[in-house]
Amino acid sequence: MKIPSLVLFLAICSAAYATQCNVNPVNVPKQWITMSRGCRDSVRRQIQMEVSASIQYLAMGAHFSKDSINRPGFANLFFEASKEERQHAMKLIEYLLMRGELTNNLTSLIAVRAPERKTWSSGQEALEDALKMETEVTKAIRTVIVNCENDRSAGPGQDDNDYHLVDYLTGEFLEEQYKGQRDLAGKASTLKKMMDRHSALGEFIFDKKLLGIDI
Amino acid sequence: MTSGPKYSDTRCGKEIDDSRASSVCKGCTFDGLPAIFSFNIIILLSPYYASNCIMKVIALAVSCLLALSAVSAETCFNDVSMDCGQASNSLGLPSCNAIYGHFSRQGNVANEMQAYANLHMRRSYEYLLSAAYYNNYQTNRLGFSKLFQKLSDETWDKTIELIKHITKRGGSMDFARRSVQETVTRNSTIELQELESLAHALDTQKEIAERAFYIHQEATRNNHKTHDAEIAQYLEEEFIEDHADTIRNLAGHTSDLKQFIVQNDGNDLSIALYLFDEYLQKTV
Ligand SMILES: [Fe+2]
Repeated sequence: MKIPSLVLFLAICSAAYATQCNVNPVNVPKQWITMSRGCRDSVRRQIQMEVSASIQYLAMGAHFSKDSINRPGFANLFFEASKEERQHAMKLIEYLLMRGELTNNLTSLIAVRAPERKTWSSGQEALEDALKMETEVTKAIRTVIVNCENDRSAGPGQDDNDYHLVDYLTGEFLEEQYKGQRDLAGKASTLKKMMDRHSALGEFIFDKKLLGIDI
Repeated sequence: MTSGPKYSDTRCGKEIDDSRASSVCKGCTFDGLPAIFSFNIIILLSPYYASNCIMKVIALAVSCLLALSAVSAETCFNDVSMDCGQASNSLGLPSCNAIYGHFSRQGNVANEMQAYANLHMRRSYEYLLSAAYYNNYQTNRLGFSKLFQKLSDETWDKTIELIKHITKRGGSMDFARRSVQETVTRNSTIELQELESLAHALDTQKEIAERAFYIHQEATRNNHKTHDAEIAQYLEEEFIEDHADTIRNLAGHTSDLKQFIVQNDGNDLSIALYLFDEYLQKTV
């Protein structure tokens, strides 16, 4: 037990103080860091939500890649969506960094958990599930906006209304959400019409269309 | 045998309404070898049959021959022959899948591949947090941040590649799977100093590389129970080669930093870390 506790001790010390291997931490003025705690915490939760969405989309990609399902077009669509969700998480992280955040509590920012759902009965169901998921994400972004727009718990020197973040979330994130939702809803409608009388063929053709193959 | 019941299966071809064809087929299935010969003669003598029908009856006849000659019942072809011959609304075809060799059947190569994908996913998000940490205003080491971002991107891409490969081999992805090699979960601290963070990354890359060795060993080991040449060569080509480079680079970085720390009584350290970060910014 001695050695691990020594390592832990050193690790704790090295985080706060200089050792022979690193330079002393310095302090620069912090008045410019004005995000309120409530706003910052909502953005942190949103980052976790984007990560969870990226993993859920991975599960969808995995499902449609299976030999028994064989829908490479759908699989591609969902793998790409997964990458996008990861990029959304990265964009929000970058934003917090710009505002002077993420100097501590990094480890608890992201938890990687297994996705909730693993199978879908059809491409149609998956598209509708994705649409539902995006609707929830949109709602969550709106909650972040509300929390950052009017944070009554904001301390002195903090933004009770974080204009810039609210603008960023509204202009960039909500815009992308609404475009993405429209795209998914359009795909779901087209597929549903194709499935009406020829479900097996309809999904097959739609899948190839997603791959960019005209048949 | 002469009444020729209407043969119908929409999945296997067009409807056959021919007394001889179906009776021959039945003969083949139930009465044994002699009927096959008579059936072959019928085909030779009767170009009159619709090609679709002939194809199907040939398939049935061949499958009958196969069933007689070989004991192995677990083939896709047999499944098709048996199930299509039955006038039911469902096709099971359990052997019509992408699984061959021992993958997903025996041993733990398939499980370990799932766990390997999960390992990449978790490490990728840890690297992403390290990249974030080195990009905050206090640490402000953009080169270190870039290094971790690259590691995160690479392990993320490999996560997707592994999932695709697992499904290529007829498996499915289990996001809860852990490797039998994983005894204790490492608690990863993100907020580390420069040399510590490189040391941590070096250890992580070795973990990933050694896991590939382990799966490779399972896929090539001598008892043939889990031998899988395809997985072995996939790991070699897509993972093992790159691992050596990444590990060597990180080890080289730690050697450089070590020199800066010990020489000149440590007086070079703050400038050395600054310059080394600049170097990383230009070279990563
Ligand atoms: Fe998103």
